[in-house]
Amino acid sequence: MNVEVLILFINATLVTVISSIVVIVILKKQYLPVIKEMEKKEDEEVDAHKENITSNF
Amino acid sequence: MAITIFAFVLLLYVVVGAFIARYVKNSDDFYTMGGRGSTLLIVGTLAATYLSAATLLGIAGQSYAEGPLVIATLGSFGAWLGTLLAVVYVGRKMKALNCKTMPDFFDKRFNNKWVSIIAIIIMIVGLVGYGVIQFIGAGLVLSEITGINFQLLIVLFTVALIAFTAFGGMYGVVVTDTIMFFTMLAISIIIAPMIIGQAGFEQMKGLSEVMPNYWTIGGTEERSIGWSVSQFLVWILFFACMPALVSRVFPAKNDFVILKTAIIGVFFAPFMQLTVFIAAGGMQVLEPNITPTDNAMIVGFMEFTPPAIAGVGLAALMASIMSTASTLFVLVGFALSRDLYERLFEKELNEKQSLSAARIGQLIVAIVICAIALLRPSAIYWISIYAGSIFAVGWLPTIVASFEWKKMNSKAASTSMIAGVASFIIFGELIRAGIMTLPTGVDELMLALFVSVATLIVSALVTKPTTYELNYFVEMKRTGMAKLTIQEFLSQPDGLQKIKKQYRQLITISVLFTFISVVVWGYFFIKLGF
Repeated sequence: MNVEVLILFINATLVTVISSIVVIVILKKQYLPVIKEMEKKEDEEVDAHKENITSNF
Repeated sequence: MAITIFAFVLLLYVVVGAFIARYVKNSDDFYTMGGRGSTLLIVGTLAATYLSAATLLGIAGQSYAEGPLVIATLGSFGAWLGTLLAVVYVGRKMKALNCKTMPDFFDKRFNNKWVSIIAIIIMIVGLVGYGVIQFIGAGLVLSEITGINFQLLIVLFTVALIAFTAFGGMYGVVVTDTIMFFTMLAISIIIAPMIIGQAGFEQMKGLSEVMPNYWTIGGTEERSIGWSVSQFLVWILFFACMPALVSRVFPAKNDFVILKTAIIGVFFAPFMQLTVFIAAGGMQVLEPNITPTDNAMIVGFMEFTPPAIAGVGLAALMASIMSTASTLFVLVGFALSRDLYERLFEKELNEKQSLSAARIGQLIVAIVICAIALLRPSAIYWISIYAGSIFAVGWLPTIVASFEWKKMNSKAASTSMIAGVASFIIFGELIRAGIMTLPTGVDELMLALFVSVATLIVSALVTKPTTYELNYFVEMKRTGMAKLTIQEFLSQPDGLQKIKKQYRQLITISVLFTFISVVVWGYFFIKLGF
C-alpha cells in the first residue's frame, strides 16, 4: 500500500468531513436552541388555546 | 474549431451580460446581486472561481512532470481548507456585518481612513499582481491554440469582460460563473475519466518504475517535506482571506445558502482539482514528452478525446480564464468606485450616480488591465511574486484579530498590515539576492506572518481602542448570520417550519456529500494506492 497516496485521498475526504462537522456544529449551537424554544412556545400556545376552549365549556 | 469555441464563449458572455443588465437596478444589485444568490449560484461561482487557469495549466503541468501528489497532497489541501475558512468564517461574518466588499469591513470596524487606504492598496496590488499574470499566461497559451494574435485576443477578452462586468457587476459574474461551472465540471466528470481510462491505473502506477518517486509527496524532484508543509501554510492562509473567494459569500440569500455552499462548494474544490491532477498523471503515460508541461491538459483534450468533448474542454479552459479575469476586473473596480471614490472621498451619491460610478470604475479597470496585459511591463512580474501571499501576511492577522480581540484597534491594524507586507518583500528580496538563507521548510511567508502577528499584538497592547472601535466590537459580537436568518424566516408565514426544513436539508446534504466523498476518493485510493 502506498501511504502517501492514502494521505492524499484522506485529505480530500477530510475536507468534506470537516465542512460537514463545522456546519452541523453551527446548526446545533445556533439554530437548534431557537427551534426548540419556538416549538415550546408553539406548544404552550396550543395548550393555552385548548385550556381556553375547555374553560368556555 | 478552437476559434469557433473562442468566439462562442465570448459571445455567450456578452449575451448574458446584456441580459443580466436588465436586472441591475441599483448599486446593491451591482455589488452583491441584491443578496438574492441561491445555493446553485453561490456554489457555481465559488467553484468556478476556485478552478483558475493556473490549476488547468501551471499546476496540472507540475503534476504531469513531477507527480500528482506534489502539490495536491498538502498544498491543495491547504487551499481546500482555506476555501472553507473563507466561506464559513471570514465571508459569513463579513456578510452578517452587511459588508459589500472586503475593504468595507476595515472601514466599518475601525472608521479610520489610513486603515482603509492600506487595506485598499493591498487589495488592488494583490489582485492585479495575482490576476494579470494568470490572464497573460493563459492568453499566451490560448493564442497558441487558436492562432489568434495575442494582442487581439487580449483586446477581445477585455471587450467581452467589459460587456458583462460593467453592465452586470457581481450579478453578471455570478451568473456567467455558474454557467461556466458546468463546463468546467465536464473536465472532471467526462474528460479526466476518459484520459485516465485510456492511460490505465496500472500503467499510471507503473510510472514510479521509470520515474522514481512519481507517486510520492516529494515527487520526481524529491522536494523536502518542509517545502510541502510550507505550501500547505501558504495556501491555507492565502485562500482564507482571498477576496475572490470571500466576496462570493456576499450575494448569498441567507445563512442556509452559505452553509450549503460550505459543504457543496468546498466538496467541489478537491473534486475539480484532483481529477485534473490525476488525469495529468495519466497524460504522462499517454504522451510523456509534452513541452511546455503547462500544455499537458490541453494536449489531453485535443488528442485523447473526441472533437466535441475537446471543444468542451477548451471552452472550460476559456471559462477558467474569464472567471479569473472577471473576478479581478469586478473586485478592483469595486475597490475603485465604492471603497476609494464613494467611501474614502466621502462622495454623497444617489442610487443612479452610485451605479454609474461603479460602471465607470469597471471601465477604467478594464482599460488599465488590458494595457498592462498588452505591454507586459517587467514590474508586473515582480509584483506577481508577492501578490498572492500579501493577503495572508497583510490582511489575515488583522481580520482574525478584528473578529476576536477586543483590544484590536486601528493603530495595530495599520502597523501590522504594513509590517507584514514590507517584511515579506524585504525577506523575499534578501533571499533572492542570496544575502539571507532560511532553514529548509521555512520561507519568507512564515517569517513575515510572524512579524505581522507580533507587530499586531505589541501595537494593540501599547495602544487603546477608541470608543467607536469598542462599541463596534460589541455590536459585531452580537451580530451573526444565524440571528439575521432566523429573524428573516420568522417574519414569514410558517417561518419555523421553513427553518426546520432548511435544518433537515443541511443535515442530509452533510451526510450525502460525506458519503460521496468517501466513495469517490476511496475508489481512487483502491485503484492507485495498492
